[in-house]
Amino acid sequence: MRAPPGHAALRAEALGARLPPLVVAADRVAATVLQGVHGRRRSGQGDAFWQFRPYLPGDTAGRIDWRQSAKSDRLFIRETEWEAAQTVAVWSDASRSMEWAFSRDRPTKRQRADLLTAALAALVLRGGERVRLIGGPGRSHAGRAGLASFVEVMGGVAKSRALPSPDPGLPRHARVVLIGDFMAPLPEIHAAIAALAAWPVRGHILQVLDPEEETLGEGNRAYAGRVLFEWGSGGQSILVPRVEEARPVYVERLRHHRQGIAAIAAAAGWGFMTHHLDQPPQAALLALWQALAPQ
Amino acid sequence: MLSLGPVAFAAPWLLLALPALPVLWWLLRVTPPSPRRIGFPALRLLRDLPITQETPARTPWWLLLLRMVAAALVILGLARPVLGPGLGGAAGEGTLLLAVDDGWAAAGDWPARMAAAGSALERAGREGRRAALLATAPTETGEAPRIIGPMPPGDLQARLAALRPKPWQPDRAAALAAFRAWRAAHPGPLATLLVTDAVEDGGAGPLQAALAEAGPLTVARDEARPVRLLPPPVAEADRLQVRVQQLPTTAETAAVVLARTADGRALAQVTVSIPAGAAGGEGVLELPIELRNQVVRLEIEGETGAGAVVLLDERFRRRPVGLLPPAEQSAETPLIGDLFYLDRALAPFVELRRGPLDRLLARPIAVLALADRPVAEGAEQQALTRWVEGGGTLVRFAGPRLAERPDPLLPVPLRAERQLGGALSWEQPQRLAPFPETSPFLGLPLPAEVTVERQVLAEPSPRLSERVWARLADGTPLVTAEARGKGRVILFHVTANAEWSNLPLSGLFVQMLRRIVALSAGIQGQEGEAPLAPLEVLDGFGRLGAAPPAAAALPAAAIETTLPSPRHPPGWYGTPGQGGMDHAANAAYRRALNLGGAIPAPRAAPPPPEGAGVMAIGGIPAERDLGPWLLALALLLLAADLVIGLVLRGLLALPARAVRVGAVLLALLAAGGARAQAPSPEQAALAARLAYVVTGDASLDETQRMGLAGLSDFVNRRTAAALAEPAAVVPGQDDLSFYPLLYWVVTPEAPQPDGAAVAALNAFMRQGGIILFDTRDEGSGEGFASGARAALRRVTRDLAIPPLTPVSEDHVLKRAFYLLPDLPGRFAGGQVWVARDQDRANDSVSPVIIGGHDWAAAWATDARGNNPFAVVPGGTRQRTLAYRFGVNLVMYALTGNYKGDQVHVPAILERLGN
Repeated sequence: MRAPPGHAALRAEALGARLPPLVVAADRVAATVLQGVHGRRRSGQGDAFWQFRPYLPGDTAGRIDWRQSAKSDRLFIRETEWEAAQTVAVWSDASRSMEWAFSRDRPTKRQRADLLTAALAALVLRGGERVRLIGGPGRSHAGRAGLASFVEVMGGVAKSRALPSPDPGLPRHARVVLIGDFMAPLPEIHAAIAALAAWPVRGHILQVLDPEEETLGEGNRAYAGRVLFEWGSGGQSILVPRVEEARPVYVERLRHHRQGIAAIAAAAGWGFMTHHLDQPPQAALLALWQALAPQ
Repeated sequence: MLSLGPVAFAAPWLLLALPALPVLWWLLRVTPPSPRRIGFPALRLLRDLPITQETPARTPWWLLLLRMVAAALVILGLARPVLGPGLGGAAGEGTLLLAVDDGWAAAGDWPARMAAAGSALERAGREGRRAALLATAPTETGEAPRIIGPMPPGDLQARLAALRPKPWQPDRAAALAAFRAWRAAHPGPLATLLVTDAVEDGGAGPLQAALAEAGPLTVARDEARPVRLLPPPVAEADRLQVRVQQLPTTAETAAVVLARTADGRALAQVTVSIPAGAAGGEGVLELPIELRNQVVRLEIEGETGAGAVVLLDERFRRRPVGLLPPAEQSAETPLIGDLFYLDRALAPFVELRRGPLDRLLARPIAVLALADRPVAEGAEQQALTRWVEGGGTLVRFAGPRLAERPDPLLPVPLRAERQLGGALSWEQPQRLAPFPETSPFLGLPLPAEVTVERQVLAEPSPRLSERVWARLADGTPLVTAEARGKGRVILFHVTANAEWSNLPLSGLFVQMLRRIVALSAGIQGQEGEAPLAPLEVLDGFGRLGAAPPAAAALPAAAIETTLPSPRHPPGWYGTPGQGGMDHAANAAYRRALNLGGAIPAPRAAPPPPEGAGVMAIGGIPAERDLGPWLLALALLLLAADLVIGLVLRGLLALPARAVRVGAVLLALLAAGGARAQAPSPEQAALAARLAYVVTGDASLDETQRMGLAGLSDFVNRRTAAALAEPAAVVPGQDDLSFYPLLYWVVTPEAPQPDGAAVAALNAFMRQGGIILFDTRDEGSGEGFASGARAALRRVTRDLAIPPLTPVSEDHVLKRAFYLLPDLPGRFAGGQVWVARDQDRANDSVSPVIIGGHDWAAAWATDARGNNPFAVVPGGTRQRTLAYRFGVNLVMYALTGNYKGDQVHVPAILERLGN
């Protein structure tokens, strides 16, 4: 059962409440005309005063700053600094493999990923930046009210592919955060990251895993003896005659897979982190905050 | 048939499967357990594992043992083991003859008798013998007893099961004849089981002797249970003398006799104790006559059978009393009419009849009361005399007319009329003297206030004093009576109204009349020879049912002497047409034929002949088939095996979780009633939403929900207010403090809210909430919900409703968002009421709005966005105005008198301008 959007937004805000607002480090702000916190050192839309300039024919009379103009004989126009916002594009894996948790006491990977996504969005929005959902309907969200609509859009995504697809509405030089389990084969991951990196955007990968997946259920008495592992509606299944024998092989394969993802991320200049479901979500959120905030 | 001690197997060849159990053991051991199934998304990483070692099959030995035991139990159960075979039944060779007494006396323990006969039959079936059945009572169709068979016992089982006890005596002489004839046709070895009721009917001895002569005889009899018979009671004035007859027993026993009404209620009971060795006992059922009139049936508690039931007919019940006034016109006048006090005194406990004398005498009647009515000479006098001598009780009251014209139908000759007291007399009104010893009124309390002012005097005669039933203090008679033939003539020397004395005003008058009616002989013996058809008859178990086709009518006069038989089963007999199942309609025309009283008291049958085996009925345990129990046990073991298997494979949920699930299910069950749930408090607090009060009518609640949802949509579209889905609330259960507006449709059936709901609603209104009462019957909708206004008064009785006024032209409700001339809903033209604008406590915001325009129906939108309810009289404009009223209403509820302050804006602007 999924909680209603309003509830999810509340939880996300509560999770992010202990962290300061996130103003994303932006050496190159995404090329948007939208208002934000990053002063562009030039006149434009914004709240902060930038300069007075003489009235020029063509300016509307309404823009004249009469208070300044009254001090002299000339007419002045008050210009504000162009303040632009950085866009953080977030992608949350909504594929079927995320709908899994070993026990019902633990949230599924999808729930944890969605929570982290929303909490990150809340932080970003509190910092005055814009947030965008890759794979959602092409719309960026801003302002405090943006979180509710973002969460609503997120709740509308029923299912996605295991890797982010190219988003034509993604602003250049935006920051990307990908949250998922990244169990797809390494070449597919490489292709997806490379496509994003060439957009060009920079980003971070957060791999969310259940601890049982990490160790193939070591210490769990259900993962013993003869076990038929199955997943997917297609009836895919693998009969493991003796799980104890298979465990070292599995752990080794998983380690290799993670190293491969880390290498792909490093090659693109991205960051890579792993989060386990038995860890508190605050830890992962803090790591993301540190990765995105200016040093 | 294979017998192993106390256990026998009916299908022993199935036991051959037992040696196959080791094979099963081996199979269970070599089959590996099915794998545990686990969902796991990281399947890709597990593909192509280089694994060689296979998990060994490791089923625990105790689990294997459990399964083996289950399998063995299945085999044993299918082999049909029987515990205690052949302990009941007749030993012997050859054909088994079951002779069963199925007369009235066998009904008491009929199931035990059937079990004894059935077990003998079953044993005969196992031993491969043939069997025959002899029932000793005549059948329902009146056929004499005959022997069925010989035939295979399995076939005879159905005939035995169809056997029922009969509500008459067995005919053992005819049974003996049938047995002789059958024996002649079927010689050969014979063993007999005689299931007897041990009640002598004259032929028990010869039948037993004949059966013993033909082969080994076993007599099954029930010594523990006495056979009881209930004869009709003896009716006295206020009681029924009950007698219970039974076969003498060695210990003292007690029988409880119940008096039941036509609808089965028990009105009274008496315990009749029967000493050891006695053939019966007596008891008294104390019943006031009013109650006794309702009793139609006496029965011995705990006994079944026609012998333990007595049907009480007219003889024991209300007696018809005829009233004859001197003049028809003024007889019924209240307080002074001739019959007024008689009617009031007699009506509660007798059946009163009126009419001319010849019509009254045309039907059987017990008592005839003549109030100051002379009897004309000739035919009338002769008819009355004949009726009195035939057993009627004639009660006469004196009066001016009788004093003038005395007639022979009086107990004493009359002399004169005298007046006591009054303006012209020295004498005082006389009081009553104590009743004479011979009077039936003896024992009645004498009220001191009863005085007699006028009376008719009797001619003194030597026999006068023995005819006096009551006299005045000075010794003059007040009530005299004389026996005439089987009947009686009684004279009250005063009038039946309060003119001559105040006796008719006293309770004594009622008591005296009751005694007289109780003394009367009733209508017994007046029926004649008219045939009475059977209406309802008793079956062998003493239950009333429809009359069988063989039952025939019998003459009313003969009903006392008829012996119940297939032609005349005990039960109700009466005149068809007035009979049937309606007890009240035919009360006077129904006679009961009872088994008790018609047949002689039960006598014990002679003991079984020498050499006959005797066994008790009911004492022996029946054969018990163990098969089903073994199979059930095997099923339980297999179920346990299933659970154990699930646990071993880790598929069974933890017990704690199971407990939690059970608790949730219980809570759901306890919650019961399906109603739209109000949102939880934390959800309700998150958004503003409208609410409606649940009415209990599902379709109406749905209309309300759709209406408020449609209004919420409209408000969200047109205004800055953001309303969430409407909520259904029950005042007193749900917290109302989250809702600005409560929409309440008042249905005609709406109940008055209880204390908790009233408190919650008053608090809601006090804290600024608004309740909109909608009666749905105003203006163009008048008559759509009649009674809603009364319901509104009922619903709001305890609510703190302020003084009301019609909505004025400049009320905020008409200008909160849109400017509205009137406030239509689905209906239009009615009046809408709000609180009078005098209470500044709540900023002049009215806590209630009362109207009848059915706004919710006008606002309602269904899932496709259509409006399911047409507006009356109609038009898009009306719908639009309805929505606009809704917006104004929401604005009013959310902002209060904010828009009302706008009224003052011109004044404020003017002041600023100055």
